[in-house]
Amino acid sequence: MEGNHAYSKLGEALVKGDFILTGELEPEKTCDLSHTIQEAKEMAPYVVAANVTDSPLGIVTINSMAASHIIQREADLEVIWQLTVRDVNKLGIAGMIMGGHALGLRNVLSLTGDHTALGDMPESKPVFDLDSATLVKLVREMVDTGKINGHEIEHPPKFHVGCAGNPNAEPMEAEILKIGRKAEAGAEFLQTQVVYDLERTIEFLTEIKKYKVPVLLGIFPMKSYGIAKGFDTFVPGVSVPKDILAKWKGIKTEYKTDKKMQKEAYDQANYEFFKPFIRELRKKNLLSGVHCMAVHYPRVFPKLMEIIQT
Amino acid sequence: MVVITTKKPDEEVFEALQNYKVKKLTVVSCGTCAALCQTGGTEGAEEWRKKLEEKGYEIEAVIVSEDVCDNRVMKKDLRKIDDEVRASDAILTLSCGLGVQSIVEVIQDKYPKKPVLVSNNTKFIGMTERIGRFYLRCRACGDCLLNYTGGICPIATCAKGLMNGPCGGMVDGKCEVDNYERDCGWILIFNRLKAIGRLDLFSMLRDARDWSESGHQQEVIFR
Repeated sequence: MEGNHAYSKLGEALVKGDFILTGELEPEKTCDLSHTIQEAKEMAPYVVAANVTDSPLGIVTINSMAASHIIQREADLEVIWQLTVRDVNKLGIAGMIMGGHALGLRNVLSLTGDHTALGDMPESKPVFDLDSATLVKLVREMVDTGKINGHEIEHPPKFHVGCAGNPNAEPMEAEILKIGRKAEAGAEFLQTQVVYDLERTIEFLTEIKKYKVPVLLGIFPMKSYGIAKGFDTFVPGVSVPKDILAKWKGIKTEYKTDKKMQKEAYDQANYEFFKPFIRELRKKNLLSGVHCMAVHYPRVFPKLMEIIQT
Repeated sequence: MVVITTKKPDEEVFEALQNYKVKKLTVVSCGTCAALCQTGGTEGAEEWRKKLEEKGYEIEAVIVSEDVCDNRVMKKDLRKIDDEVRASDAILTLSCGLGVQSIVEVIQDKYPKKPVLVSNNTKFIGMTERIGRFYLRCRACGDCLLNYTGGICPIATCAKGLMNGPCGGMVDGKCEVDNYERDCGWILIFNRLKAIGRLDLFSMLRDARDWSESGHQQEVIFR
C-alpha cells in the first residue's frame, strides 16, 4: 500500500497486513438484485469485501456501478467494483470514478474486460480507450492529486484501485512484465485468476513479489462435479487437475441419493484441497489473502474462513 | 500498400440502383487496388457490364481508371466520357470508398443530382502476402508506435488495440477473439522485442492514446 491512508475496510486490512478473504458476486441480466443481495448477505460475515462483476464474457448485465451501490447499501457488504475499459471511453470512465465515489464505492478493480465479440451483443462497439494499466493510472491521478488532466476536481474521489494477474498465462514472462506496468501505474492490490497448479503459482508469485503489490489468490471452490467439469471445459487456460475431477465425480456417485451428505462431502473436499495449497503459499509469504470466485456457493465461506484463520 | 475491398452482395448493389431508380449508368472501375483485390479492374468491369445488361440496365460507358481516388486523374478520365456521364442516371464505382468520394467531388458541381454508387466494401489498408491474402497491419491511427513495439503494431494486431497488453484474454499466445485461433498481438510484440534484446521496451508503461486530433476531418497539407 502506498502511504498509510485507507478509504475502505479493504484498504485498512491491506495497510494493517491482515490476511483477508474476498468474495465475488455476479449480477445478471436483471433490474432486481434480490438474489445477489441474498448471496451478499450470506458471505458478508466472512469476507472483507466482494467483487461485483462488470458484464463478464461480454454478456450484458445490469451495470456494475449501480449493482455495486445497491449491494453495498442493501447487504451491508463492502464491494470491490469491477470496472472494465471495454464499454466506456476515458472521459466516461473519469466521470464514473467520481460517480462511483458519490455512490459510496471505495474499491475499484481495473480490468480490460472480455471482448464484445464474445458476448451476447457482439455488434456493440468495443471501446478500449484505456487499458487495465492506464485505468489504474487514471484513478490514482484523480485520487492522489485531486486533479484530472490538470483540472481541479472540487471534491476528489477516494478509491483503492486493484488489478488482476494471471499465473496461468503462457508465456508467463510477458504477464509478469505487464504486472510490472500495473504496479508502476499505482495498483494497490492484485487479485489473481483462478489457480490449481501450486508449483506454477509459487513461481509466478515469487516473480511478482518485487513489485510489492499485495496479492489475493484467486480460487474457485467447486460446488459440484458438474461445475468442476464445466469450469475445466469452458474456462480457457485453466484446467482443473484430473485427480480433483475424479474425486468430485466420486462424491457425485457415492452420495447420489443423499444430497445433504453430498453437499457436505463437496465442502469438505474443497477444504482439503485448498487448505494445504493456501498454507504453502502463506508460509512462503507470497499472499495477502484469498479471493474466492465461486459465485452462487456462499455456504463454502465458513470453511474458507477456517482455512485462513489457521 | 493496398486499400483492401471485398464485393458487396449483388442484391445489395441492385437494391441501391433500384432505390435511385437508375436505368442507364456509367461504370468506373479502379485499375489499381480494386484490381488487385479482384473487386474492380478490367475483369470486374466486364463482370458488372454483363450482370447489369442481364438485368436490363443500359450501359452508357465502362472505363477502367488507374487512380479513381486521385481527383486529377478522375477529372481527366471523366471529361473524356462526359456525354455518357450526362446521359447516365448514376455512376457505379468498382473501387474503395475513396474512389466513390473522389468521383462525387469531381462531378458534384457539374452534375449535382447524379448519384454515385459503389459495388464494394472497404475493409482496411492491407499488407499483401500474395494475391488473395491481405492482412490488416496498420490502422493509420496517426501516431506511429512501431519504433517501440518491435515493428509490430498493437493498435492493428491486438483485437482490443491496447497500449499495454497482453490482456487476460490471451491463452498460450492466442487471442480470445475468434476462438483462440489467431495470435495475440502483444505476444507477437513480446517475442519480437525479446528476440532483439529489448524487453525494456515491452516493460514500459504506455499512456493511453491521444485522440484529441481525431475529432475533425483529417488532412495532410504541405504546400
